[in-house]
Amino acid sequence: MLEIEGRTLLTRLVNALRPHVPRIHVVVGYREELIIEHCALHHRDVILVRNPDFRTTNTAQSMRMGATGVSGKVLFLDGDLLIADESLGGFIQRAATVPMLVGIAPTRSEQAVCVDLDDHADGVRVTGFTRSESKPYEWANVVAGPASILDQATGYVFEKLSTYLPVPACELDLREVDTPADLEFATAFAASLDAT
Amino acid sequence: MKSAYCFDLDGTLTSIEILPCIASELGVAEEIATLTRVTMSGLISFEESMRLRCLILGQVPVQRVHEIVDTIPLDPFLADFIAERSDDCFVVTGNLDVWIEPLVRRLGCRTYSSRAALEAGKLTVEHVLDKGVAIGEIRALGYDRILAVGDGANDVPMLRRADAAVAFGGVHSPMPTAIKESHFVVHDGNSLCKLLTAL
Repeated sequence: MLEIEGRTLLTRLVNALRPHVPRIHVVVGYREELIIEHCALHHRDVILVRNPDFRTTNTAQSMRMGATGVSGKVLFLDGDLLIADESLGGFIQRAATVPMLVGIAPTRSEQAVCVDLDDHADGVRVTGFTRSESKPYEWANVVAGPASILDQATGYVFEKLSTYLPVPACELDLREVDTPADLEFATAFAASLDAT
Repeated sequence: MKSAYCFDLDGTLTSIEILPCIASELGVAEEIATLTRVTMSGLISFEESMRLRCLILGQVPVQRVHEIVDTIPLDPFLADFIAERSDDCFVVTGNLDVWIEPLVRRLGCRTYSSRAALEAGKLTVEHVLDKGVAIGEIRALGYDRILAVGDGANDVPMLRRADAAVAFGGVHSPMPTAIKESHFVVHDGNSLCKLLTAL
């Protein structure tokens, strides 16, 4: 519900996704009433998936809940991302051509989960995730694949994705808003997106 | 897996609340709307409220009620959804069988409702539906799974006993009590039908 340049992150994400996907599910937990009210006013087509156990579940489990009732391919992404429309469109187009696609971005986060990459005939692939080494690219908290990819996930999303490696990768032009410093960069990024 | 789709009627399948429409005939639409809101919030029991509302609205001749009810719009997406699988869809409503007859005919599916007797023009409420009991009866028809859609406090027993529960805010925001018992919250008929189809 964080607002950047007069629009919430959620509104920015929903508006960016809407032209590309038939259905948008938003998983709600902490202060769900605020998000439900926001969607009732601004995004009535969004399906809200409740996670009443949000205090004891992690992102991977929430994302898996979000895919409830979905067959086929799903784009899973964190709600605290700001993504350039064109970049997201490119990612979704590419995701349609491969079974699974992992989003990566130049490493900027304070506690980045970095990725090992290799060049393959079909393009760049993620071959590993690491928190202990700094690498040029980090895991962008965006992945497209079958609805079941996060089934039985108990840890972090990237830990579950590790079981599928190697997986094709696609660079995304995005910012994650986790810390006050992130917010500063994201605000500048949002202003540049809004200007285009 | 055989699934039953169970829908609340007022403000879920219908695009406006039914009882305030009937009440406008007596010039008490606002008062009945207030009573409906208070009931949906769970501040008074549905049964008490229904009996009170019927006492007031029972003054309107049933034939006139049918004329009014027949003009009440249905959510077009939900009406189509039901028409496509009417054998497995159920209206589960606390409203009275004698009043909602024209709507039920239009929807073309089976209905569990409250019951009233009509003698010499006098309406007497005989049975107020417990939606949880209705869900048990529907499941006993041989369904493996119940998907339920509602918006108010009287939908709570239905939502609680369903395998997948949706709080629907097509007309007004679903009540917090209904949301609390639901797996999903949806505000648009088209999105709701997409979800129900996918589940």
